[in-house]
Amino acid sequence: MTMQEPPQPRPDHQTAAESPTETDESALVVDGLSKQFGSGDAAVTAVDDVSFSVGRGSVVGLLGPNGAGKTTTIKSVLGMVLPDSGSVRVRGMDIYEHPRKVYPHVDAMLEGARNDYWRLTVRENLRYFATIKGVDPDSVADRHDRLLDQLDLAEKADEPVRKLSRGMKQKVSLASVLATDAEVVFLDEPTLGLDVESSLTLRRELRRIVAERDLTVILSSHDMDVIEDVCDRVIIMSEGSVIADDSVERLLRQPEASRFRVTSPDIDERLRHVIDERFEVIEMSVTDGRTQVEVATDTDGFYDLVDLLQADDVTLESVTTPDPDLEDVFLGLTGGEHREMPER
Amino acid sequence: MSGQSSTAEAVDRSPGDDPRPATYYHLARAVLYREYLIFVRYPANAIGGIVISLFFFGLLFYGGRMIAGQALTDSIEGIIVGYFLWTLAVGAYSSISNDIGSEVQWGTLERHIMTPFGFAPVALLKGVAKVVRTFLTSALILALMLVLTDTTLQLPIVTIAVVAVLAICSVLGLGFAAGGISVLYKRIGSWLNLLQFGFILLISAPAFELGWTRFLPLAEGSSMLQRAMIEGTRLWEFPLFDLAVLVGVAVGYLLLGYAIFELATRRARRLGVLGDY
Repeated sequence: MTMQEPPQPRPDHQTAAESPTETDESALVVDGLSKQFGSGDAAVTAVDDVSFSVGRGSVVGLLGPNGAGKTTTIKSVLGMVLPDSGSVRVRGMDIYEHPRKVYPHVDAMLEGARNDYWRLTVRENLRYFATIKGVDPDSVADRHDRLLDQLDLAEKADEPVRKLSRGMKQKVSLASVLATDAEVVFLDEPTLGLDVESSLTLRRELRRIVAERDLTVILSSHDMDVIEDVCDRVIIMSEGSVIADDSVERLLRQPEASRFRVTSPDIDERLRHVIDERFEVIEMSVTDGRTQVEVATDTDGFYDLVDLLQADDVTLESVTTPDPDLEDVFLGLTGGEHREMPER
Repeated sequence: MSGQSSTAEAVDRSPGDDPRPATYYHLARAVLYREYLIFVRYPANAIGGIVISLFFFGLLFYGGRMIAGQALTDSIEGIIVGYFLWTLAVGAYSSISNDIGSEVQWGTLERHIMTPFGFAPVALLKGVAKVVRTFLTSALILALMLVLTDTTLQLPIVTIAVVAVLAICSVLGLGFAAGGISVLYKRIGSWLNLLQFGFILLISAPAFELGWTRFLPLAEGSSMLQRAMIEGTRLWEFPLFDLAVLVGVAVGYLLLGYAIFELATRRARRLGVLGDY
């Protein structure tokens, strides 16, 4: 699905078809990344010519249904999956050519993994992984203390991670990534398994840490609230390709996000069936003889709906345009894809 | 939030927030300290290993004496030295191969690969840590075996340490190879652990007096350890060729095992299965 009005690229990012521009402000430049798994008839294209760049200090959300290629993209960018083609540059250095030079600058919290040692205490994990990433842990001891405070882990700093709750473990995993001196951080589902309060705390502190340390964050999440709340910009992937890349505000103004809700007492069963067949119906309900229909469509589509109703002498009681959220945009752009394909 | 980036330059750095690069010393300290912490904090694994090793040795010794009588008693020194080397080899092999499997499962292997030091020094230090740990437990097992059988052995510490370390370097290589295979194929740890029983053959190889067997892992080390602990041969008293074979086998298998691990992880990265479990 293509966007009807492609957004104008800003210096630090591009739409899918363009080659990314590397500037002094670029923390990460991904250019023409492609990866296919398997061969012959069984071949699956996981990532297809993905290009984008991310400016320093920005937080970019990576959205897409399962199987869209998010995790493969992240792992390819980190060098954990070797792509068939394409390049990844972090601070101007190619990660495949100079991995050891790049690795001090990048770290990742990968989905579904512990990412740390449960038999060590929280603080020991922070010190260990800071060292592994090339930082003398004594030189960042204060930073670790502050991090523990910010993530509400100070009281548990000397507890083995295995004794903590799932939400706490998730925070330790995040803390061990932020304990290094990496400037580009990948967070794959950082709020997965957290309760609402913990998720809100984590989002708030993440924003604060990003601002404090000029971090560049690429955040993948199924939780649209997290993306909307934390990210400056969103890259939406579908079937291995980037299908949208823009700021949250601009994406919310996309035609794909527009919704129209009409209410009328004259819409009968037959007409409801016709509407359901011809439009992307988000919601349809009948209460006290009144039918309320919400459709996802652009302005032209809305006039088509009005024409259809007028042809049946339907009187409209009300027409409203609900505020779109990121989920509407996402569903609009991905065609409401369900999450069926397994993520690689 | 992009506008917030400009605030970063204004942030004052305290002495504890002024990142300095870690050196190999810091890396060694971190890896060895972690092993130490696990060892002292969770002694049940080590104690369990010692108890099981002694149980099987007791079975071998008392069972064998019932069947073979004096013949076994006459060769008990050789059996003790062989068993000591076997516990060392099994400890080093299983800890390195199982460790890699666990790191894959925990998602920490990727973090060790994404290190500016390169994975090789990290893996080598982990290997050193495993060897030190295994030495401590095997030394205890050796002492208990000597008490249990009322046997006396020569204990030239430096010679034993050098020969035994070089002997199990080849096993570390096998551990890396097995770890690499488990990164690629997952959940085959039980099959790979069967190799531990093959170590018995390798340790017994000198008894067959086949020239080429000395180039197999453990074989030359086993022969030299027997001579050191039973006949009291010191390191400098061994023929140079024997020492060269010992070193060559140790380095060769370690490099070969690491190369297999590298190839396996590279293939896993190509297939996109590194870290999947």
